[in-house]
Amino acid sequence: MHRIKTVLLREWAEAARIKMVLFSIVFLPLFMTGFATYLVWQGRSLPPQGQAVLLNTALIYFFVLPVVIPLSIAAYSIVGEKEQGTLEPLLATPIRDWELFLGKALAPVVPGLLLSWGAFGAFLLATWVILGAISAEVLSLPWLLSIFALAPLLALFAVFVTMIVSSRTTDTRAAYQFSSLAVLPALIPLIVYSARLTAVNLFFVGIEAGILLPLNVITFYIAVKLFHREEILTRWK
Amino acid sequence: MIETAGLTRKFGDVIAVEDLSFAVSEGEIVALLGPNGAGKTTTVRMLSCLIAPTAGRAWVGGYEVHQDPTAVRAIVGVLTETPGLYKRLSAQHNLRFFAELYGIPDPDRRIEKYLRFFGLWARRDEPVAAFSKGMRQKLALARALLHEPKILLLDEPTAGLDPESAKSVREFIAELKGEGRTILLCTHNLPEAERLCDRIVLLRTRLIAEGTPEELKRRLFGSRVVVELANPRPEIVEELRLPGVKSAEHSDGKLWVEVEDPRFVNPILVRRLVELGAEIISVREAETSLEDVYHELMEGDSAQD
Repeated sequence: MHRIKTVLLREWAEAARIKMVLFSIVFLPLFMTGFATYLVWQGRSLPPQGQAVLLNTALIYFFVLPVVIPLSIAAYSIVGEKEQGTLEPLLATPIRDWELFLGKALAPVVPGLLLSWGAFGAFLLATWVILGAISAEVLSLPWLLSIFALAPLLALFAVFVTMIVSSRTTDTRAAYQFSSLAVLPALIPLIVYSARLTAVNLFFVGIEAGILLPLNVITFYIAVKLFHREEILTRWK
Repeated sequence: MIETAGLTRKFGDVIAVEDLSFAVSEGEIVALLGPNGAGKTTTVRMLSCLIAPTAGRAWVGGYEVHQDPTAVRAIVGVLTETPGLYKRLSAQHNLRFFAELYGIPDPDRRIEKYLRFFGLWARRDEPVAAFSKGMRQKLALARALLHEPKILLLDEPTAGLDPESAKSVREFIAELKGEGRTILLCTHNLPEAERLCDRIVLLRTRLIAEGTPEELKRRLFGSRVVVELANPRPEIVEELRLPGVKSAEHSDGKLWVEVEDPRFVNPILVRRLVELGAEIISVREAETSLEDVYHELMEGDSAQD
């Protein structure tokens, strides 16, 4: 655990010094919160049914945020090491492959979640100010589970896939391109929600969690197997 | 402390290192010499468990690199070809990161010790991006030493440094030897290898030669005596077929005589030259540098290919 924490803190220290990464992780939550709040403001005089539709739409943003925010840090995580030539001394330390992988995977996910949940809190506050109360549509159990349980699982999955792709790619530009595609499988539930193919209910949340939990375990296992220091050193030229 | 047996590494069809066997004893400094692409860095990478051998085995500090890579990494300090530092982070932050990975107790004291030693303490909070090449190399050396390893694998430690920085790094390596550390040093710098190292391993994909600099010189050039004459005559070499004289040639107005044992042969040689009417100005042993040895061996190896 100690080495995982060390890698995670170092990743944060570096990311905090890269303006583009910092901008992308701060801008997205601000923009999404602003936009969701604008939707609620626009619908303040609608009947409760209409407001519910708007709120459901707004909530999708907070579902997607934890998946999207980590990608800029995750993509830089390995590319940055290679660009600075820091991988070799890092891989020469006694850190195990899985410790390095997990440290690098959690580094983008944790701030992504914290910022998203902070943004969600700000949105609730704004909704309360605008509507005078927080609708049961927002604080319903399926939505809360989606944001606080499903979103972390989706974020982890997206980051695992990004890092698998990164560690198997021979060139840094391809790594960036592929990493943006890695988010697509994680967006399936989002598409289902936004297309209203199903209501956001406990059954659907349960099915998603039931798929995502083992999927994350399998992806992590595959990722660690593929995140082999020799492969990274010899392929990442 | 370091031993390899038939160590081989291939990248696809390309053989980077072939059937390499050598050993480094405790407290020894051994230079791994060879041209670019000779397999020096690949050998260091195999010994530091960064890449696996395709065939053969290697032991570092008693651990087999394939079986106990984590144990090997914990006891070895590696200076990679490039410093590989996090440029946005400070010198202190860089070292703290690696100190944590090596699990060093009381890392702050250790970090201060090495930053002060390398003269970087005053600039400990500056981002490494602002450091000169020499400062970065020193910081990378500090990182390799931070966990006070008994075994050091140093890949081109003075490459690209100005003469003053290179000198201070060389002096530091000599100090490390005094502390009883075992060092494998990859270098292109032949005078540096000659000055610092106990033994030389000459490599060009496979092992070309191995031995102390003196052994290699003797093996290749034997003992050569230079005789400076006031009245040089090229034909005099024909008259020098004496017991103990292996060869003789005339060049640059001097006689170059290869002898078996100078202590016994030199007096006979001088007597013979005087008999032949030569006016001797000086007689001295010819100096052979490691560079001569290197070129001779490499040319010999190319001729074999």
